[in-house]
Amino acid sequence: MENRIDERRFAELMEESADRHSDAMHQGRAGLKDYVDVVSDVRADVRADAEREHRRLSPVALAAAGGAGALLFAQAVPAWADSANDVMVLQTAAGIENLAVMVYKTALTLPFVGGSSANLVVKTFAQRTMQQHQDHANAFNAAAQQLGGKPQSGTDPKYTPIVQQAVPTIKGPGDVVGLAITLEDVAAQTYVKDVSLVSTGKLKQLFGSIAGVEAQHKAVLLAVQALLNANAPQLIAIPTDASKLPAAAGSVGFPDAFYPTANALPASEGAVK
Amino acid sequence: MSEQGEMHISESELRSMTDDLDEMHESTMPEVRRTLADWGANLGQLTRGRRASRRGFLLGASGVVALGAAAACSGGTSSSSGGSSSAAPSRSASPYTGDLRVVALAAALENLAVTAYKGAQQAAQAGRLGTVPPAVVTFIQTAMKQHADHANAWNAVLTGAKLPPITGAPLTITQQQVTMLNSAKSVTDVAKQALALENSAAQTYQFAAANVSSPQGISTAATIEPVEAQHAAILYFVLGQYPVPDAFIKQDQVLTPSALTA
Repeated sequence: MENRIDERRFAELMEESADRHSDAMHQGRAGLKDYVDVVSDVRADVRADAEREHRRLSPVALAAAGGAGALLFAQAVPAWADSANDVMVLQTAAGIENLAVMVYKTALTLPFVGGSSANLVVKTFAQRTMQQHQDHANAFNAAAQQLGGKPQSGTDPKYTPIVQQAVPTIKGPGDVVGLAITLEDVAAQTYVKDVSLVSTGKLKQLFGSIAGVEAQHKAVLLAVQALLNANAPQLIAIPTDASKLPAAAGSVGFPDAFYPTANALPASEGAVK
Repeated sequence: MSEQGEMHISESELRSMTDDLDEMHESTMPEVRRTLADWGANLGQLTRGRRASRRGFLLGASGVVALGAAAACSGGTSSSSGGSSSAAPSRSASPYTGDLRVVALAAALENLAVTAYKGAQQAAQAGRLGTVPPAVVTFIQTAMKQHADHANAWNAVLTGAKLPPITGAPLTITQQQVTMLNSAKSVTDVAKQALALENSAAQTYQFAAANVSSPQGISTAATIEPVEAQHAAILYFVLGQYPVPDAFIKQDQVLTPSALTA
């Protein structure tokens, strides 16, 4: 692949980007802490309410109250159930992220992605995207643990064999990009759906935040794929020569006005057993 | 031989790919419309005093982002302070309350984006931006159409609730954005302004998904947010910047309902 790039400017851009990434990580961790605080508050409230009701409804009173006592506890249970559901969703998400890290790590061992014949932008994208997925996995697992769950250290059970079958057939950058597009899209679709599944605003914010980033990965990969298919790898550069980009490159990165969720993974798929 | 002539896939084939994607986009619309129609059918409870937020939307004016400042951070040319020169009406004076105020904000923000892209298109056609790359022309056309789709979806919720649709961009930041657009001298100026708007839109939807009460509102905001983020990624690339600068979409350019002047 031809490598036409202003390396000094590219290095500067990478430094600026690294600074922004660091800031965002700080903010992400702060957001995560806020979320955990909120969840902890909710759980503490639920626990206090349940204990208060339990004390008020002594065994005698409970016996007298009959179904009413059970109803009170039943009303308290859904919040705990929400936490269990949240943990499951977070573990599934962490499994997707772990798989994405594995894919980019494997891709970087290939000469046309991480080796001497690689396009510098593609190589940097693979490195930085792998790190971003690791950050996402860490965030999801941290939240799961804060909610009393176990971290998910494995990879998504449905897509892992698909990736394992695909890797030996990879012949060039286009194959890697195609595989990465599939994974990024599944991740984004899953998290878009998860925004509606999780129980707190902070957790919705976390999933929304990461869904947007996976969608951006997909947009970039679609643009790269279009340029590779157009035999214009020299335009995969930062900065690129915008005047030479094919017209369709301006829109190929965002095919849907509303991000689909038809391929979202089930919430329980990657739950730790 | 031109660049296009050297390609294995011709421009027309690439355009055909885009058309295919357009069809895919059209196929997602009915599902979204159904979701929003369901929402419209249940709007009685939304209009009966449900608060706009759990916490975030009570930020008030201090939470309104100055997009001029945001654009400046992205390298924009405006030196204006951004924010508001016109106060938002009191909540009691506005017909848009609760979650519906967020819907109205979203519709106004989408209309502002359509207006900005339309203005950029007109400026390009008038030759005020210099030579405009074909990819930028396509970007403007497609992004503008998607923003119009978003605005239509949100307005359908408002009309379903027997409220007037948002036809303009009644936001405290609109005048400043128009001024910036009118002073744009190049594609880069316009792209930087668009980038600030797209980032703000993505962040606002992320914030909305975390703060509105209606499940349909949450899912709709969640499906639009990644699309605005994708627009931003392509704009970063066109501007010569790394296209996915952050591991987490930030929350520093959120537009809160207090920016709505309707």
